[in-house]
Amino acid sequence: MFNNRIVMIAVSTGGPITLKKLFADMPPLNAAVVIILHIQPGMDRLVAKGLAAVASMPVSVAEHGEFLERGRIYLAPGGCHLTLEGNRRIMLHEGPRVNFVQPAADVAMKSLGRPFMGKIVGVVLTGMGNDGAAGIYHIKEIGGTTIAQDRKTSAIYSMPNSALQTGAVDFVFSPDKICWKIVELMNEGAN
Amino acid sequence: MSDIQVMLVDDEELIRDAVSFYFQAKGFRILTVPGGEECLSLLEDGFRGVILMDVMMPRMDGWRTIREMVERGLHPGNAIVMLTALDEPDERMEGLQEYIIDYMTKPFDPQALLDSVLYYSKLLGSGYPNHV
Repeated sequence: MFNNRIVMIAVSTGGPITLKKLFADMPPLNAAVVIILHIQPGMDRLVAKGLAAVASMPVSVAEHGEFLERGRIYLAPGGCHLTLEGNRRIMLHEGPRVNFVQPAADVAMKSLGRPFMGKIVGVVLTGMGNDGAAGIYHIKEIGGTTIAQDRKTSAIYSMPNSALQTGAVDFVFSPDKICWKIVELMNEGAN
Repeated sequence: MSDIQVMLVDDEELIRDAVSFYFQAKGFRILTVPGGEECLSLLEDGFRGVILMDVMMPRMDGWRTIREMVERGLHPGNAIVMLTALDEPDERMEGLQEYIIDYMTKPFDPQALLDSVLYYSKLLGSGYPNHV
């Protein structure tokens, strides 16, 4: 089925524990979740296992060529970039670092197209640098909803703050409030 | 109680003693070293685990220590948590994000530090089911 309901999350340092908090109480979503975490190869699988232990949705490290399914969480692997083809098929790419990182959230978010009868949510969580800011701006431009983590709960605030500086962020919340905003946006009154 | 491997790298003896005392009281083994060179030596000797790394140290700071780790291929299998007095890191952290799993600002809550170490130890030590 064409996937037009996507939650894409940019996150870096402090991410594993923040993701655990975000997904621990989240019910299964009527959307696919794609996480771009700045992580080294090898550690990506361990983080996915940790998240799988608390999340209500299945978690996997994204594989090249697979199609997104709603109700699943995909973690971008370390050491390459991830894009979505047609908002539904995962493509993994070699290539230079972007914003000093690989995978880069800007690369993944900017690959999203305006969904037809769908919904896209972009989230920027804790982390160093400005990755995710251009991506959030793009998501807003294609009609998505955008959320940034608040300063108080961010291990490092520069990524959420950079997103905020674009003027394209709709909501600034703590992880537990982000959880319920995503549920509200994706699960209430929609197909 | 635990064979979790934890290393604290900090030039301040008071911090090393306080963290070491707290962790040992909770039953955890923790190694403490005063600088980056000693940290790298332990890694060369095969240490793998959670590394609590001070940022500002006089001889080799935390950022340089991590760059050395990466250049020598000593980073796999380790989870690095930065301990720092700075609310926000400077540009020296750029390019190191993927190697730094967490960042805690001093003075830190010892229980929060312990909880983080437990979680990252669990990740490293396959304390979770071996399937994803």
